[in-house]
Amino acid sequence: MPATRLRSLQALGIFCGFAAGAWLGGAEAPIKLVNPDISPITVSLIMVFGVFLARWSVPALIRGTSHVHSDVRQAPHLIVWAVLAGCMWAVANTLTIYAIRNVGLSIAFPLWNTNSLLGIFWGFLLFNELHYAGWKRWLGVLGGAVCMFSGAALLAIASAHQAAPGKAAAGILAALGAGILWGTMYIPYRKAYLTGMNPLSFITFFTVGELATMTVLAIAYRGATPLWHELIGAKSVMFWLMLGGFVWVLGDLFQQYATKYVGISRGIPLSNTNQLWGLLWGIFVFHELRGGSHTIYVQVAGGSLLMALGALSIALSSATAREHSSWQDAADREGNRYGIEHEYVRAGMEGRAYGSGSTRRTFLDWLLILVTTGLFVVLAVMARLPHMDIAVGWAAALTIAMLALLATCGIALWRTTRFR
Amino acid sequence: MSSSTTDAPRSLLRAIFTDVHFWIPLTVLLGGLVLLDKLR
Repeated sequence: MPATRLRSLQALGIFCGFAAGAWLGGAEAPIKLVNPDISPITVSLIMVFGVFLARWSVPALIRGTSHVHSDVRQAPHLIVWAVLAGCMWAVANTLTIYAIRNVGLSIAFPLWNTNSLLGIFWGFLLFNELHYAGWKRWLGVLGGAVCMFSGAALLAIASAHQAAPGKAAAGILAALGAGILWGTMYIPYRKAYLTGMNPLSFITFFTVGELATMTVLAIAYRGATPLWHELIGAKSVMFWLMLGGFVWVLGDLFQQYATKYVGISRGIPLSNTNQLWGLLWGIFVFHELRGGSHTIYVQVAGGSLLMALGALSIALSSATAREHSSWQDAADREGNRYGIEHEYVRAGMEGRAYGSGSTRRTFLDWLLILVTTGLFVVLAVMARLPHMDIAVGWAAALTIAMLALLATCGIALWRTTRFR
Repeated sequence: MSSSTTDAPRSLLRAIFTDVHFWIPLTVLLGGLVLLDKLR
């Protein structure tokens, strides 16, 4: 690959990592509008419904589902990997609910944020990431990840609530379990993108595992009839939860592109800046730290600074041509094992076209877009805004910032890779 | 022709099941399910 192309793909991947942080963090905002009486499992299930709709309609809108079909023809084994990753996500997400309930967000969040350290480990061990990177880049990535982890711990302590007494061990185990599941979930991600699959194709199968696992868990834990009654009772907040799921998918999509172009060792820590964005929404829009002590504000400032420095350190440690060539060795190994055309793998890694697939939307694409839009309109009509003290001006400012990132990163993705 | 079309899914499954990368996430997933069951 020409050096200029490598540089532009690396810059694009880093930009996607930052955009992912903004949108993944912003996904917490609609969920804050929901009554805490609804069971966390049901909240998670409704969010996953929104995620499922978004994971099919967004690819239909951006490139059309015919691309999914042609990707699957080239690399059918990736369906198994995508479904497996989706199952892992659902179990990890359910574990976080137990973690927050037992030890509170302050302890749980930094523990499951260890997923980025695990991501660096798997990236190095299995996919030749950071090979021949030199000590400066090692220091940049590992130091940056540790910096972000420490910042996340400080931020979480600042926004803490009390842990349930006698439940600490269970909560810590749940949080660590979620971190291990999420950190390992990036193995299928990297596997898919090294072999040339488009993130828009991968997420459509990922979400099948996600929805199926979450439905089974919800029925097993709540019982079918109580779950149904709870879903009916939650119709006035369904819009906010599904909107949270939709926003989360946009963030996750940027995360997938970041993983594709800068690998899991850089992409995942960068998208973990979502905690900063969640905090911005919490402080400015929902007045969460109002009346807090001087110590809390020092913790927030220190934690935010550490996270920003960590992200900057990783952003400045992009892969060299030599490291990238060792990624290509890993990609060739995958291509040989699964019998994938060499040119398809190379084209995927370089973000360029393979073959002459149709770019036209089909009837199915328009149907997916129409049904999803219609459903969200109906749910919006039924939705009620709870009586909460919300700073509308700050909400508008943060939304504009997110939309600006969406537009600029979307344009950059289109110009550089045509969303490949 | 018909033999090669029936062999393709088999060799695909063989490639997946003999790939150590497959067993790592699967083992972690099963571990997560066991943990979830214990925490209920």
